Amino acid sequence: MISRRHFLSASAGVAALASGMPTARAEGGQVVVGTWGGDYGQLLSDIIDKPIMTPKGFEIVQDVGNADPRKTKLLAERQSRRGSMDVACLSDNDAYIVSQSDVFERVDAAQVKRLDKVFPELRSDIAIPHIYSAQVILYNTNQVKTPPQSFADLWDPKWRGKIGLADILYPNNTLAAALAGGGGVSNLDPAEKKLMEWRSLDVKIYPSNEALAAALKSEEVWLTTMWLARGFMWKKSGIPLAHVVPKEGTPAIVFQASVPKNAKNKAGGFAYLDAMLDAKAQGGFADKMGYVPTVTDAPLPEDLAKQVSLTEAERARLLKPDYAYAAGRSQRTLDFWNKEFKA
Amino acid sequence: MALLVVPACLLVLALLIGPMILMFRISLNQFSPTQLMMQALSPDNYIKAATDPYYQQIILATLGIALLCTLLTLILAFPAAYWLGRMESRWKSLVVIATLFPLLVGNVVRSAGWMALFARDGLLNTVLMKLGVVSAPLEIMYTTKAVIIGIIAVVLPYMILTLSAVIESIPRDLEYAAANLGASGARVFWRVILPLSGPGVAAGSILVFVLCMNTYATAVLLGGPRFKMMAPAVYDQFVRGNNWPMGAALAFMLLAVTMAFTVFGSVAFARKYRAG
Repeated sequence: MISRRHFLSASAGVAALASGMPTARAEGGQVVVGTWGGDYGQLLSDIIDKPIMTPKGFEIVQDVGNADPRKTKLLAERQSRRGSMDVACLSDNDAYIVSQSDVFERVDAAQVKRLDKVFPELRSDIAIPHIYSAQVILYNTNQVKTPPQSFADLWDPKWRGKIGLADILYPNNTLAAALAGGGGVSNLDPAEKKLMEWRSLDVKIYPSNEALAAALKSEEVWLTTMWLARGFMWKKSGIPLAHVVPKEGTPAIVFQASVPKNAKNKAGGFAYLDAMLDAKAQGGFADKMGYVPTVTDAPLPEDLAKQVSLTEAERARLLKPDYAYAAGRSQRTLDFWNKEFKA
Repeated sequence: MALLVVPACLLVLALLIGPMILMFRISLNQFSPTQLMMQALSPDNYIKAATDPYYQQIILATLGIALLCTLLTLILAFPAAYWLGRMESRWKSLVVIATLFPLLVGNVVRSAGWMALFARDGLLNTVLMKLGVVSAPLEIMYTTKAVIIGIIAVVLPYMILTLSAVIESIPRDLEYAAANLGASGARVFWRVILPLSGPGVAAGSILVFVLCMNTYATAVLLGGPRFKMMAPAVYDQFVRGNNWPMGAALAFMLLAVTMAFTVFGSVAFARKYRAG
């Protein structure tokens, strides 16, 4: 029977043959990285795989997919002696959920040398923080002359029909509503009343981030809540946007990477985690995707930092998710979003 | 001779029945946000799916859309199928290929085309605004109208081809005989063509109804986040909620309703034609 790993390996071999590359086995071994595709996967390849890992003798194979199938695969494979991934990239919330099944190796400085450079507030026992961003208010600068200063300001009737939300970010939109209603990362109860108020203010819902970007561009809507990093990319693509870090606080999202306990090449996996924290690689992700470095020794150029980073005062308002609370309430959050808010 | 069906049966058994048994077992488990699911033998998910007004409303909406689309498709397909069934030109095979052509484009790609056409700043609104027909863009995207148009575009070829095969087998002489006895064109259609093409209407309608009930891509892409049909609701539970047991129970509920209507339709048609 052909396993996924053998299939990926064979595919890589075929690709190498086609490109005239030698197919000799890399001395560090093969490292299978479960990751998103698109810009993220491409940047991993351009900034980490080729310049850092390949010269060290590792052969990197990407197992590209969305987070949900990857989570499911990690949970389904947890009883297997050998898993299909050596590195699993997930958001902090997803990594928490998977880690509850004791899937990941513990991460410490003995395996990941650059761990001591990581900002203390972003450290985790089961993952390295690769990149992070914060949930802010984005607004169209042509239409909004007096921008809202808080999530609560988005409930001002003057914005009726002019606020757009991405359906896929329903947990984050729910959190914004909770914060506006006096709740927080550990209390989403006020969100339900606020979401229904938002609904009566004709808030528009778009199926994807891309559809929301198109609506902001065509000025169908003027305001949204979104990751600062994505706002940066949209600005780069020509949409006239600016951001506000809300008064109530700015929820953080950290994209992490972990080594599964049943990884075939754990040493390779940890070497990859170390490479992800490389200062130059971190700067590259900030420049291309607008996500902020998670290490102390990767300063950004002033102009870039102004667009993607938080000031000291804003950083103080960064809200770390309550993973256990969010996971325990996930079904209620989804049900309310679908059954009441979108009804 | 019976042995000839063995390979196909084995394939269906391995690729359809096997996974369905597995999914049925999953539907009896219980959801856990951190463990994915916990082993159980509980009908809770079915009870919840059947008694929750939210899912009742979705199943009714799905049935409504599927029945409406089937009826509209039948009305639109019949004239084309009649023309195709009666065609004696040497170009007939090309026309059949042209009818099949839309099926060569995947549902997602086809829906993307509709999105470009229906968007606020899409082709249709741009043309209508330029011509001065409307002063503000029409809201077509993310409406039931858009989904119905999208679904009919997907299923129309199935209905045309099923109907045309049956119409082709109706002897032309019967139409001539009816006309010779003084029947008008409309009367020939109602009293001769339509009753004799009954098996095609039944087969085409059932095929199209099943496809409509299971619509996913068209509903998601053209209906938008607020539009509710069963297949996207199943996906939501599996992928966004990670609630496999509930997703599996909803999938079986969709299967049961679709099968009930299909069997009912087949029996009703069979009775009518046996009696007729």
